[in-house]
Amino acid sequence: MCPDEQRLQAYFDAELDAQGASEAARHVHGCAACGAELERLAATRQALRSKFIEVRAPQGLRAGILRALDAEEATSVRPARGDAAWRTRPFWLGLLGGVGGSAMAAFAFLLLFAPRADLVEQLATAHVGSLAPGHLIAVVSTDRHTVKPWFAGRTDVSPVVVDLADQGYRLVGGRTDAIAHQRAAVVVYQHGAHSINVFAWKSDAAPPADTTRSGYHMAFWKSGDIMYCAVSDTGWSELQGLEQLLQGAGGREQRP
Amino acid sequence: MGDRRSGFEAQVLPHLDAAYRYARWLCGSPSDADDVVQEAVLRAFRGFDGLRGDAKAWLLTIVRNCHATALSQRQRRGFVPLPDEHDPEDGEAMIATAPGPEALAISLDQARDLGRLLAGLPERQREVLVLREIEDLDYRDIARITNVPIGTVMSRLARARAALKARWAGAEGDPKDVS
Repeated sequence: MCPDEQRLQAYFDAELDAQGASEAARHVHGCAACGAELERLAATRQALRSKFIEVRAPQGLRAGILRALDAEEATSVRPARGDAAWRTRPFWLGLLGGVGGSAMAAFAFLLLFAPRADLVEQLATAHVGSLAPGHLIAVVSTDRHTVKPWFAGRTDVSPVVVDLADQGYRLVGGRTDAIAHQRAAVVVYQHGAHSINVFAWKSDAAPPADTTRSGYHMAFWKSGDIMYCAVSDTGWSELQGLEQLLQGAGGREQRP
Repeated sequence: MGDRRSGFEAQVLPHLDAAYRYARWLCGSPSDADDVVQEAVLRAFRGFDGLRGDAKAWLLTIVRNCHATALSQRQRRGFVPLPDEHDPEDGEAMIATAPGPEALAISLDQARDLGRLLAGLPERQREVLVLREIEDLDYRDIARITNVPIGTVMSRLARARAALKARWAGAEGDPKDVS
């Protein structure tokens, strides 16, 4: 007697125990109908697998996931700059936890370089976080006369806000973010498919060198005592184009 | 990169393609699949310390949970009409949630014919078939992922295979359709 449909399929799927499998094998060997059914099952599997196994996660998704993991790692272990900052950096941990004599040197190293590294990290984290749905823009407007006053009272600086739609950078809105222990202003521009966040906060320091973190370019400049950083996944030329336009606009605004 | 992160990348990320394929069959549109997979991988990373057993089955379980969460959120917000509550086991009655035009275009382009036959299966049948035939998971893992007893996996699988066979026979006019 032929095994029922589910049992034959369990045999095909290698889900029967040893005894069941050997019984089924004996039967199928002498049964043309069951043999044909097994062949058909195998052909279907082969067709499905060969057709769909080639479907792979898109590169963009993969990259987005790696960035999200970076951000997750950064936020889960690093509440703020300072004592927690080194915990994300096993390299420094090694220095600190290693030979006692090197501890002082390691601290000096931290003091010299950590603030900047930490700033870049903050900017990258803030930028990635802003890309989550609904997080990018708090005030939605293409009108600089709406966006600029919105910052008053919400941030510690009044940044340059211009609509550069004619030059390819459409003003889409603004929000605030905590950068360098301040309420930084963030002006958001749209360039093609890319969002560009322009962070602005008060600083006495000289602008750091432009850099790239987690795939995002960061261009720094200063205007008066306001530090600006434009962050995006656009190319450098697009980012620096915006920087030049904003620097020009900042210069005009400062004139009497 | 921490040990935890590199362990995660070594054990779980190799199954990203499988997670994406599964999500594509679960979700109506590719962008929904992207969102579901991204959320699932993040959740997996947060819960990585709880991983026991097979990483692939574990990740796909999370993908399915994320899909269910996203679906119920969208339905609450009224983005998607609630599907009629057919008996899920009454296979033929419940035609899978109608794929949007975008999904339809993709499935026609990328995996014509056989893809269309598969897409036409009821969702729950298609799911077990995909997990078994394409992702090569055993009954126990499929039962865990889809959260049903093994007996239900077996009956769904048998129904899915029978339904695909019937549709295949129906499309037999042009044998190239299924090659």
